[in-house]
Amino acid sequence: MPAHGYEPPGDADDGEHRDDALLTARASEGDEEAFETLVRRHGPLLLRLATRLLGSRSEAEDAVQESFVSAWRRLPEFRENSTFGTWMYRIVTNRCLNMLRARRPVVALDAVSEPAAAEHQVSPARAAEGRAAVEALSKAMVVLSPEQRVCWVLREVDGLPYEAIADMVGISQEAARGRVFRARRQLTEAMVAWR
Amino acid sequence: MAMNNPSAGPPDDMDDREGGKERLPCGRDLAQVWQQWEEGQTDSHSRSCPHCTAALEDLDGLKHVVRQAREEEPEYEDANVLVERVMDVVQLELRPGRTLPLGTTEDDDWIVEAAAAKAFRAAADSLPGVRAGSCRIAPLNAPSGPRRRVRGPVAVRIEVVIDMTGDLQEAAERVRQRLLVTAQRALGIEVGSVDVAIVDVLDSGGHGERPGRWR
Repeated sequence: MPAHGYEPPGDADDGEHRDDALLTARASEGDEEAFETLVRRHGPLLLRLATRLLGSRSEAEDAVQESFVSAWRRLPEFRENSTFGTWMYRIVTNRCLNMLRARRPVVALDAVSEPAAAEHQVSPARAAEGRAAVEALSKAMVVLSPEQRVCWVLREVDGLPYEAIADMVGISQEAARGRVFRARRQLTEAMVAWR
Repeated sequence: MAMNNPSAGPPDDMDDREGGKERLPCGRDLAQVWQQWEEGQTDSHSRSCPHCTAALEDLDGLKHVVRQAREEEPEYEDANVLVERVMDVVQLELRPGRTLPLGTTEDDDWIVEAAAAKAFRAAADSLPGVRAGSCRIAPLNAPSGPRRRVRGPVAVRIEVVIDMTGDLQEAAERVRQRLLVTAQRALGIEVGSVDVAIVDVLDSGGHGERPGRWR
């Protein structure tokens, strides 16, 4: 377990952690069935994380698949200073970060927020309005840098403390706070413009 | 939010830069205002100041949309496709490991460590209240070096988690005996020693207390 004692949201209870530790030990010695159980257990949560980070389910599937394969190769070096769940969470986060960095450069804020407003303001139904807001948000997120996006999603959507975000991404807590702030700053602007 | 040139925003290439504070018209630092609110701290200024209130409403509005987005997320309960794709790759990868002797010194039969370990773990798991983790097997009297093929008895070291239902030493002994029987009858591997390490003890509610490495 990491020093700050944080476990990813929805992660297993105590008993399951113990079982994970056994399965991880087995898998690191080449037991494929044990690894399969770990993939089945942690896959859904990691897919959700990657989808949030990347904004695309199909890219998320690729990211999580590659992360598990990479974990299988690195398992012999896995040390029990964190749980398997936390370790995978970190691997997936960083793979998504790299995929975001490899995307083409971000577009300007004005280019996404303005058309979104024109398109959706006409909708009278509350539910539709909610959906439109969600859509406007996901469009607005395009302007965030990969680093801002990842830190913001971990904080705002996954609900991680800053300490855990810093640990996941390998930056200082101050840098994590700064990135989340700048992301919020840009997203609130975009949502105000949209409304 | 009352701010000039709203679409410009802060440049996003200054991620780790200190400073560049954004002040509200009331003089408060926006980052501070949001942080205090997030930490559940408010003061008389922030409660009454229209600029602070507007800034907090903006953040609250954003959080509201995030909550909506989360509610709309599909459930990803079914990991079958993922499991299949991952395991297809994993099963193609060869894990080099030790090769251990089967049968007598005259034979030339061998088994890879992972396969023998799997049989030993399954044997330990078959005992009530026992779950096996790591299981390493190596020639008992051999120079180090994983690739060296050496005949002769092997040493087994297995880690187990045990339900606290009785005497731990007895439980360890049961594991040892079960492994010896498996080695002899199922695998045909000559075992020189079995170390059983109890790495965790579970009470009846499934809660554990780590006893350290008890042997």
